[in-house]
Amino acid sequence: MSEPAASQNNQSIETELYKKREKIYAREVHGIFAALRLLAMAALLGIYYGLPWIRWDDHQAILFDLPARKFHIFGLTFWPQDFFYLSMLLIIAAIALFMFTALAGRLWCGYACPQTVWTEIYMWIERKIEGGAKAQKKRDQGPRNAAYFGVKIAKHAAWLLFSLWTGFTFVGYFSPIQDLWTSFMTWTLGPWETFWIFFYGFATYGNAGFMREQVCIYMCPYARFQSAMFDHDTLVISYDEKRGNPRGSRRRGTPSADVGLGDCIDCGLCVQVCPVGIDIRDGLQYQCIGCAACVDVCDDVMDKMGYPRGLVKYTTENSLQGKRTKIVRPRILVYIAILTFVSSALVYGLLTRIPLEVDIIRDRNVLYTETDEGMVQNVYNLKLINMASEAQRYKLSVSGLEGLQVLGKTQDIELESGAVKDLPLRVQIDPIVLKSPSSKIMFHIESQTSPEISADESARFLGPASR
Amino acid sequence: MSTLPATQSDKNQLPVVQQIISVMWPSFLTASLATIIFFTVFDPTELGIIGGFPELTRMGGYTIGFFCFWLLTSISCALTCYFRRPTNKPINPNNSKPS
Ligand code: SF4
Ligand code: SF4
Repeated sequence: MSEPAASQNNQSIETELYKKREKIYAREVHGIFAALRLLAMAALLGIYYGLPWIRWDDHQAILFDLPARKFHIFGLTFWPQDFFYLSMLLIIAAIALFMFTALAGRLWCGYACPQTVWTEIYMWIERKIEGGAKAQKKRDQGPRNAAYFGVKIAKHAAWLLFSLWTGFTFVGYFSPIQDLWTSFMTWTLGPWETFWIFFYGFATYGNAGFMREQVCIYMCPYARFQSAMFDHDTLVISYDEKRGNPRGSRRRGTPSADVGLGDCIDCGLCVQVCPVGIDIRDGLQYQCIGCAACVDVCDDVMDKMGYPRGLVKYTTENSLQGKRTKIVRPRILVYIAILTFVSSALVYGLLTRIPLEVDIIRDRNVLYTETDEGMVQNVYNLKLINMASEAQRYKLSVSGLEGLQVLGKTQDIELESGAVKDLPLRVQIDPIVLKSPSSKIMFHIESQTSPEISADESARFLGPASR
Repeated sequence: MSTLPATQSDKNQLPVVQQIISVMWPSFLTASLATIIFFTVFDPTELGIIGGFPELTRMGGYTIGFFCFWLLTSISCALTCYFRRPTNKPINPNNSKPS
């Protein structure tokens, strides 16, 4: 490609790249739903920042202990071998979200999604330091003086501190938080922990401080595919066109009929409060995160005008068209059926889970040896993991060939809860009974403390070719 | 981002920020998934011993593993973007465009 063309193109890319998105200055709202959201967010943030500090028995209640490769969820301990249960849990969560979406639309987005929750918190900090939407806009368009930079620096400092705390808490879910705190206070954090605290903190800072609604619009997969789960009975936020149009301003307290207009006074407040910058009166749009800010603000306007509330409200497509809204419908029944099935499978699996993991690895260096007494010997390494919550004593036996003998400890193998033990085992047999150079044998390990815990593991026993 | 096509002044092209996101973000998601599955099966300290880095800590192993996966998945996402360019476009856009 020729040089001038390339530079021209680069230029146009650059202008596109650096063209700042229109910053949305959302007005603060007060109202029933704003209060509900605040409550939900306070609860969720409390859980997020508080949970890693809660202890259970002698460990952190919720800890995905990556350095030790085990997961504590209150009294339960999971191991990488239990990955199956984790994936079941994820499937349940996904289907529950589908069902919830079919029923309640984007309630999740508006009230519980981390992106929304942290954006709100960052906007709250911004309002505390920079003032309301109007003041912010005025400052951004005004001169770049000392006051401007003072306020901006204060805001970013507050944001950054909060981000770091968020990152610290995040890492605290994966590495014991109390140790983490001690090393933080003594300035001895490991390099990887430090890295992840900054990485996650930086992601929070960027997403909640700058990207905001862009994340919902461009990055969230859920926002894109949710339309597949919507139907005419899904709860959505909508403007009542029949009632509102034609729009127009009028004096306070004038009945709409007198001026020949609908109930919408075209004050534009619903647009000003919208955090994603859309006009709900244009109909349901996929950018709408269902935050109900427009509902609150319009209800306020209706109160002031003396009109009934609910020009913008939670409703369903069917009820807008004057039909009945059905909650129980085939789609929901299918979700319930799947959910019941997967959850019962999970509970069954958890109840019948055998908290003992056995691995047998043959000694790789030698196939077999012959002892002075003429016996054939194979060496194995037995790896035991006690996944039960109490210490156990195990016994071990081998079967599959007549006259198998185990040299080494076969009784009273003690193992703490959550401990791993490697046990070298020598198994011998008289070569007379060996019918083939490789035979299958079974190791049976059983707990002496609780006999219902047992496991079988097969291995190959190698010997000379049969004679 | 040399893998992003340089000839994209078309009106219907995505803005560059969104293009970068469309490479980095899906690859981040798939890399996370791959990391989880991979390290459920393999213990990074054991891999470190096999690979000749006995002093590798688990956190270090997870981190390095994650970024390797992210590199791979972002390369494949970037290549997808690259190959999605129409092939019948003239090489020099100035030949066909009045602007
Ligand atoms: S807030 Fe209500 S009255 Fe005001 S413009 Fe929006 S819909 Fe109309
Ligand atoms: S349209 Fe209303 S509910 Fe939707 S995002 Fe905007 S303010 Fe929130």
